[in-house]
Amino acid sequence: MVGLSLGEKHFIKGGIDQNIRSDGRKRDSYRPIFVETGVIPQANGSARVRMGATEVIASVKAELGRPSALHPDKGKVAIFVDCSAVAEPTFEGRGGEELSAELSVALERCLLGGTSGAGAGIDLTSLIVAEGKICWDLYIDSLVISSDGNLLDALAAAIKAALANTAIPKVNISAAASGDEQPEVDISDEEFLQFDTSAVPVIITLTQVGRHYIVDATSEEESHMSSAVSISVNRKGHICGLTKRGGEGLDPSVVSDMISVAQHLSELLMSRLDSEISAAEAEGGDEEL
Amino acid sequence: MEFVNPEGLRLDGRRPMEMRQLRAEIGAVARADGSAVFEMGNTKVIAAVYGPREVQNKSQLSNDQALVRCEYTMANFSTGDRKRKPKGDRRSTEISLVIRQTMEACILTHLMPRSQIDIYVQVLQADGGTRSACINAATLALADAGIPMRDLVTSCSAGYLNSTPLLDLNYLEDSAGGPDVTVGFLPKLDKVTLLQMDAKLPVDIVENVMQLAIEGCKAIATYIREVLLENTKQLEYRRGL
Repeated sequence: MVGLSLGEKHFIKGGIDQNIRSDGRKRDSYRPIFVETGVIPQANGSARVRMGATEVIASVKAELGRPSALHPDKGKVAIFVDCSAVAEPTFEGRGGEELSAELSVALERCLLGGTSGAGAGIDLTSLIVAEGKICWDLYIDSLVISSDGNLLDALAAAIKAALANTAIPKVNISAAASGDEQPEVDISDEEFLQFDTSAVPVIITLTQVGRHYIVDATSEEESHMSSAVSISVNRKGHICGLTKRGGEGLDPSVVSDMISVAQHLSELLMSRLDSEISAAEAEGGDEEL
Repeated sequence: MEFVNPEGLRLDGRRPMEMRQLRAEIGAVARADGSAVFEMGNTKVIAAVYGPREVQNKSQLSNDQALVRCEYTMANFSTGDRKRKPKGDRRSTEISLVIRQTMEACILTHLMPRSQIDIYVQVLQADGGTRSACINAATLALADAGIPMRDLVTSCSAGYLNSTPLLDLNYLEDSAGGPDVTVGFLPKLDKVTLLQMDAKLPVDIVENVMQLAIEGCKAIATYIREVLLENTKQLEYRRGL
């Protein structure tokens, strides 16, 4: 991935030990975050998030579908991630597929809860139009445009912003169909429903380098991590999902310590993201006027 | 369907000879050697250039010129209907090839033997003319990467609907089934490097439509030059020169 000399590796590691990283940050500080919403006009909602040199786009498209027989009272959400070759030449052709699959599964786990949909950050029952018959299917597509580490956190932030930007048309069921018939629907093009995104969690990835762990690692720092844990935390401070990706084993006590650190950091990240999103939304609103 | 109304305006309110609004930005991908975003109306593409660098696949190594590679991909959300297409379908392979050949013709490949230049173009929004937009974005990205070129190759499309030659077709006009002429042009050398047309067109009109597309290419070249100049001025300013 990143070719680093022995000296450079030593420098990065030494900096982390002394709580000054090579870009001047502390171990627990994030790079500047920029959010722009409404970047894809054809989508129901979209956002672009930049964290340092990492840049991702997320878009939300809503389509009417049928709820699954197992959960007639819930809509469906699917998350897809694409790693563009623009970000990294190794993603060319099928090269990015493995990473794309890993990221999308991790995001689904962290944002959508279990297979039953319990504990999902998005209120799936709000996607129902007619119980057992019609629901909204949300397709969340994200694209990595520029990669410099910490993709998962950036993707989660982008999805959160895109959901906040999402407007779903109001649906009127015109004829009450009896039995198994699909009722006729009338999609309004004037009235839209906004999502409640307050419960959508943020993901915080803690990367362990030596004895310490850092947040928002750049790809240089990631290249010699010993292991990384991604923790998704919602506004209430509840843990919504957890993934540990690769690397060495961790002491169980370290994991619980990481969780408490993540809980603390999530408050800061959440409020920072909220203010960025509302600023971006306000700016987008001005353009429309 | 009426593509040009009696007042002489097109579906999106443009005149027949009018181009969509252009916007370009250099340096969109921080880690690439050169990158650019290019917008033509609602069509938006991003291009990144990596290289010249060591040849990755030694069997493709050439001792007298650089190897140029190109990959074209469309984002899932780029089209109106959401589709999940496999990578490397026939259409993208063809466009990748077209872009590669066009760029190869303007890069001074003989100056960089035994090396490789990768051009990646990603369509973020598709509204007709993606291949032109991709070539324009690739030109800017190559210039940003400092790769020696003969000229700034630019591309523009033109069509012929309702007996009127139209410049820079959007998706609706493109899918109307009329002829679509895409031209790649070297403005300084005054040479056409790419010419593609589908559907049929009377011989005497082909020249008109092609000329219109060439005029479009020239206008884009002027714009690209402005953007590059502005970018260079910014760099100069930041270096404190």
